[in-house]
Amino acid sequence: MILSLEPAVELVRVAKQYADVIAVDYIDLDVKRGEIFGLLGPNGSGKTTVLKTILGLVKPDSGSVKVLGINVQDDPVGVKRRVGYVPESPRIYEFLTGLEFLDLTGDIYGMSPSEKKRRIDEYLEALELGGREGDMISSYSQGMKQKVAVISALMHRPELLLLDEPLNALDPRSARIVKDLLRELSLKGVTAIMSTHILEIAQAMCDRIGIMYEGRLLALGTMEELRDRARMPGSDLEDIFLELTGTGDVRPVIEALLK
Amino acid sequence: MNWKNVLVLIKADVKSYRIIRGARFRRFRENKLVTFAMYIGAFLLGAAIGWFAGSFYDRTIDPQVTGLLLQGTINLFVSLPTLVLLYGVVFTQIGQIQRIGVKTSIQPLYWFPITWEERTLASVIANTLGFPSAITIFIGSAIIIASVLMRLVPLALLTVFALLASLFMASATTELSRILQVKLSGAVTKAAGSAAIWVRFTGTILFLLIFYVVYFTVYQQANPLALFEAVAGGQRSVWFIPFVWPGVALSYFAFGVWLETAAFSLASIAFTYVLFLVAVRLNSRFGLYEPPAIRVSRGAYVPRAGLMGRLGFSSMEAGIMRKDFKAFTRRQELIYIFIFPVMFAIMPILSLVRTGAEAPTLQVAHLVLFAYLAMLPGTIMAMILGSMMIGLEGGSVWYIYSSPIAARSLVKAKYSFSVLFSLAVAFVCSVIGGVIWIPSVRMTVLCVVEAVFLIFSLSMVSISLGIKGADFRELPRPRMIRPKWSLINGAVCILLALLIVSPLIPLAVKLFFESMGAPIVISLPLADAYLYAALPISGVIASAVLYMFYRIASKNAEEFLAKAEA
Repeated sequence: MILSLEPAVELVRVAKQYADVIAVDYIDLDVKRGEIFGLLGPNGSGKTTVLKTILGLVKPDSGSVKVLGINVQDDPVGVKRRVGYVPESPRIYEFLTGLEFLDLTGDIYGMSPSEKKRRIDEYLEALELGGREGDMISSYSQGMKQKVAVISALMHRPELLLLDEPLNALDPRSARIVKDLLRELSLKGVTAIMSTHILEIAQAMCDRIGIMYEGRLLALGTMEELRDRARMPGSDLEDIFLELTGTGDVRPVIEALLK
Repeated sequence: MNWKNVLVLIKADVKSYRIIRGARFRRFRENKLVTFAMYIGAFLLGAAIGWFAGSFYDRTIDPQVTGLLLQGTINLFVSLPTLVLLYGVVFTQIGQIQRIGVKTSIQPLYWFPITWEERTLASVIANTLGFPSAITIFIGSAIIIASVLMRLVPLALLTVFALLASLFMASATTELSRILQVKLSGAVTKAAGSAAIWVRFTGTILFLLIFYVVYFTVYQQANPLALFEAVAGGQRSVWFIPFVWPGVALSYFAFGVWLETAAFSLASIAFTYVLFLVAVRLNSRFGLYEPPAIRVSRGAYVPRAGLMGRLGFSSMEAGIMRKDFKAFTRRQELIYIFIFPVMFAIMPILSLVRTGAEAPTLQVAHLVLFAYLAMLPGTIMAMILGSMMIGLEGGSVWYIYSSPIAARSLVKAKYSFSVLFSLAVAFVCSVIGGVIWIPSVRMTVLCVVEAVFLIFSLSMVSISLGIKGADFRELPRPRMIRPKWSLINGAVCILLALLIVSPLIPLAVKLFFESMGAPIVISLPLADAYLYAALPISGVIASAVLYMFYRIASKNAEEFLAKAEA
């Protein structure tokens, strides 16, 4: 079982630059199998670029990316087959119904008809999309579209989940189901890397957290390790995050706004 | 009415063109100096033409010619408001169609503290800016300068007011029709329930069909001079249509009938105001209208292998093909594709009916028309479809990028869809052509087989170039392919099509002259066996093209999937 000791995701000296903007600045990162890893950072800090690089959607300028033991650039299709991906604000085919879109996903991932039907029915019921699954996606609310995207990422039982703000626009019940499901899947060895702005969710769900700022990985570790790093024992993630990213002193801003 | 709000809203509306045009056009359109230069240029050009026309009249000595010129000018002035109304409607409608997507992106305006009167007035005025205004300024300056030399100043001044009223009427009418269209299509969708998709599909096809039949009928018979005379002379006979009231008022003014002039002038102002009020009312009622959801199915979900699965496609390829079929029957901008074969069928039939050709010319025409109908619609469909198959993914292309789809599977699915669809078009068109023109068996086989060669090969050519030039932008309308690559695709396909059919050209010439009958018979030394050699040669060329471009398409698809970020 040497393979299981191998990290699910391994980034070595990964860098990516768009024109003058450094999106990812020589990042090293290992994510263990079965781990829920949270990527935090202010807007534009490079979280989405990291997720896309792991999936092979962005080719790094330098460094290497290994996913489930496969070099992403060598076998991108092989990697995608084992990964479930939810982009930020997913645009899904609006001319299809929710059901048709999930059916398409099942076909693309080579699921058998019976398995496809069982999973789709289960997820539709769990996320309360039943009754609207036959409507065209163009009429769905943002939350419903997000649910369809989440189901599409989970239904083929991937080994790695890349989730960019997965709980965006979800109602509390659905968000709770997704969170609990991720926990259960993690116990079964499924790895999840999620970016989020909701620090409470990261604190509650993630085994380890990486804080990104201006393309760099400022801090990485469990909550305890982050507290030690920030020298803020007993603090919550919000305080640590603001301290580490140097954006903590918001009082002058508030005072200026209230003038 | 807060005029400052109106001005701010007009500015926002003008800037919404940023989404439609590129950076270069933006700099041009938003540069006040350039905008004013365009209007001043239109004014100066109009003034120059007006001065030239006026001077010509002024220097004419013959009283008979002078009288004719004067009458012609008065007729022109009188007809201008109605003509301005017509082009105003055309230009503002085009502007509306172009900015369907933009309109939704400027929705924040709706929750600002502005009234519907301000919003509607700004929209109506903004629609007239640009070319409609420039053309009106050009006409206005031309008639004012000419009128000074021709001593028609009062008529010219009234004409200018009538032109402005007509332009406003045109834009208000466009605003009205836009709101009504949204409301009506939503109501139809709601009433149709699960059949809404097919109602929308057949409705779009029927609308385009009627539009093209009317267009070709009018276009092939219309004479601009006849149109001009008809407008000048006929608008008084249709005085009950409010849109011609400015022109009617002018014509009464030209004849010195003051009471009618005053009545129609006031009626024109009143009608313009009523149009505006109705547009405001409709906007306040339906301006924030949300179309109802289209329900496609109610029953339980039953996964099916489908026809494609049975034909040997993998579940992934069949899934992509099924998805694309749904796109073509549900996305309004793609439904338009279906009209191409219909147009190709209508045009030759209409022209044949009108020419009234007789044998032997008729026989040759039948031959050419059958070949045209059997080969062209399917081939052109293959070219168009192939080039847009990747670009039609639009903003949802991330799904293709992030899915485990191999380049060859993607090419196979997209290519097969394009080929099957084009073959169906070619088959239907061949049957229609065969029923109407009853060609010989040899001719039928020749054209149909050649159409198959062209479709199989050119589909792959277009797929390979369509991947390279794919454009996924969806606002204000889906682009599918960049213009440069569309042109390259067209040129490459035409050249390769000529290459593929080249072995058959001598045979076509021989058949053509044989069909011409006795006076023009030219005997070409071609044995019948030539057909049996030429057709396979054509097939070999088509296969070579297909193979070569399959390699290119696979390579392009690999690059496309690897460079997702671009």
